[in-house]
Amino acid sequence: MIRSVRALAFAATSLTFASTTTVAETLTISAWGGFFEETLAAEIYPGFTAETGIEVKSIAQPEDSAWMTQLMAAARAKQAPADLSLVTDEVLIRGNEAGLWAKLNPANMAGTEALKDGYVILDDGGMAYGVGALAFYTTFVTNTDFAPDAPASWADLWEDKWDNKLGIITTPNSGLMEATAKTFFGGYEIMETREGLEQVIAKIAELKPQVSLWYRDEGQFQQSLEAGELNAGLYYHDVAMLSIWDGKPIASTFPKEGGVVADAYWVTPRDSKNISAVEKFLDYVSRPEVQASMARTMGVFPVVPRESMDLTDEEFSAVGSDIEPIRVQTHIHLREGDWLESKYQEMIAQ
Amino acid sequence: MSTASRADTATAYALGLGTLLTLGVFFVVPLIFMVIVSFYKPDPMAFYKEAFVWDNYKTFFSSFYYTVSLRSLWSSLLGAVLVVVIAFPAVLVIVDLSRRWQLFWVILLLSLMCLSEVIVGFSWLILLSESAGLPRLFGALGIWENPRSLSPSFGAMMVGMVTIGFSIVALILFPQAARRDRSLEEAAMTLGTPPWRVFFTVLLPTFRTTLLSVTLTMFVYLLGVFVMPTMLGRPKDWTMTVIISDKALGDANLPLGAALAVVMLIVTTVILLLSMLTTRGATGRSTR
Repeated sequence: MIRSVRALAFAATSLTFASTTTVAETLTISAWGGFFEETLAAEIYPGFTAETGIEVKSIAQPEDSAWMTQLMAAARAKQAPADLSLVTDEVLIRGNEAGLWAKLNPANMAGTEALKDGYVILDDGGMAYGVGALAFYTTFVTNTDFAPDAPASWADLWEDKWDNKLGIITTPNSGLMEATAKTFFGGYEIMETREGLEQVIAKIAELKPQVSLWYRDEGQFQQSLEAGELNAGLYYHDVAMLSIWDGKPIASTFPKEGGVVADAYWVTPRDSKNISAVEKFLDYVSRPEVQASMARTMGVFPVVPRESMDLTDEEFSAVGSDIEPIRVQTHIHLREGDWLESKYQEMIAQ
Repeated sequence: MSTASRADTATAYALGLGTLLTLGVFFVVPLIFMVIVSFYKPDPMAFYKEAFVWDNYKTFFSSFYYTVSLRSLWSSLLGAVLVVVIAFPAVLVIVDLSRRWQLFWVILLLSLMCLSEVIVGFSWLILLSESAGLPRLFGALGIWENPRSLSPSFGAMMVGMVTIGFSIVALILFPQAARRDRSLEEAAMTLGTPPWRVFFTVLLPTFRTTLLSVTLTMFVYLLGVFVMPTMLGRPKDWTMTVIISDKALGDANLPLGAALAVVMLIVTTVILLLSMLTTRGATGRSTR
C-alpha cells in the first residue's frame, strides 16, 4: 500500500519534472561491442526514446572482466562510465560484492513484473541492483562443408574427425566445463570439489590435439569457421544464426545434453546521476513485446515467459530450444576463481 | 663569447634536466604503484584488498609461470637474433645502392614501421592461412600435396615478430653502415681476402658492439609484444605479456599481474646489466 502511494507520488513528480524541463535527458547505455551494441542502438533504443523523449547514447563495452576492471577504477574516481550496462551474472555478483551498483526501486519499474521469476535481483532492503536483460546460448557450431551431419552430443567434440580444426573459447566459464561434466560425469556434482574440477579439466585436455584455436576474440573464430580454417567449435548461438541467415555454410546445434545458457543483466553503476531515467528504461525493456523484438532482431533468448510473447514456433526455435539447458555454475567459478582460472590456463598453455 | 656559450649550455642543461625529471616522475611513480599493488591481496569476489602479502610472488614460482617466463625470454631472444641476422646484411646491401634506391628502401622501411602490430599480424594470418595464403599457392603449384594452415605456430609467431622488428633494426643500423670507414675492407680485399671472409673477419668485428646493443634493444622490445603471440602463436607459445594481461584484465587479478610484471622487469634488468658488463669488458680489451 505504502509502496504504491509512493510510486504514485514519484510518478507525479517525475511527470511534472518531465513537462517543465526543456533539456532532453540523455541516458548512456553500454553493451558488448560489435553486433550487440549496434543492434540494440538500431532496433531497441529508438522505441524507448520515442515513448519517453529520453535520448540514448549507446557505447561499446569490452569483454566482461576487462569492463569490470574499468568499472572498478571508475567507481574509485566516483565516475559512472555509463548509466546502464549489460553484464553477465558473474560480473553482477562480483560488482555487488564490491558495492559497484546503484539501488533501483522496483516500484518504479512495474514492467519488470513481466520477467520470469528471479530476474529482478533484490538486496536485503528490497531494492533492485540487477534486472534480467536477456539470455544467450552457446552451442556446438560446425562448418557444414566439412561436417554435413549435425553433431548429436557434446561427446562428438572428442571424436577424432575434426582434423585438428576445433576452435574453443579460452576462458573457463565458457560452459565447456559444465557441458563436459554433464556429458561424461553425470552432472554438475563433480564440480563441487577441486579433485572433481581437475578431472573435468583433464577430460577437456584430451581435446587439445584437436584444437587449433583457443580464442578470446569472437571475430577471429567466426572468420576462421566461415572460411573453413576451422571445422567446428563452441560459439554463441545468436551470432551463428546471423551467419546462417547470411548464407554462410554454418550450423548451430543444440546437442542432446542441451545448449549452454547464460543470463545477462542490466546494472547501473553506483555514481550514475540518471536513476529515474534508468528505471524508465528498465520498465520499457522488460515488456514482452520488447523482449520479443530483441529475440527477432538479436537472436537472443527472452527472459519473459514464452506465452506472454507473440513469437511463432519458428521464431522461438531460432533463438533457443526446448531441451533443458546446461547452466554455467557461476557460484563454483566465483568460489574457485583464481585457482580454477590458473588450472585452466595451465591446461591450455602447457 | 665564452659566457654566451656557457649560458647556452646552461639553457640546454636546464631543458634536458626538466625532461629527464618529468620522464623520471612519470615512469617511477607508476612503477612504485605497480610494486605496491603486487603486494596486495587479490579478492576473487571484488578486486583487491590493501595488504602486504608475498602470495603473488610465491605464485610465480609455481612451475607454470616459471616455464612461461623462460619461454618468453627464449622467444624474444631468438626473435631479436633473427631480426639482426636478417637485417644487417640487408642494410649493407641497401647502403651500396644508388641514392634513389636507398631512398626507396628507407621510405619502405618507414612505412613498415607505421603499420600497427595488429595489421601486420592480420596480414600474416591471411598469408599463412589454408584458404587464401601461401599453403594454397603451394597446393595449386603441386609443391604441397595436402596444404594446411601454417598458423597458429611458433614459426608463424616468429615471422610476425621478425616483421615488426626488421624495420626498426634496419633503420638503426642504416646511418652507421652508410658512414662506416671502408678502408679496412678495401685493404683486406686488395690483399686477396674473399668477400665472405671480409664480412666475417672485418665487418662483423667492427660492428660487434653495435650489433650487440641492437640485439638487446630488440630483445626488450619483443618481450613486450602482445598481438603476435595471441594472433599467430599457439597457447604454448604465449609469452609472459599475454599471461600478465590475462591475469590483470581477464581475471581482474591486478596484484598477481603486477607481481608477474615486477619479476619480469627484474629479470630483464639483470640480463641487460650482465650483457652490458660483458660487452664493456670486450670493447675495453679490444681497444687496449
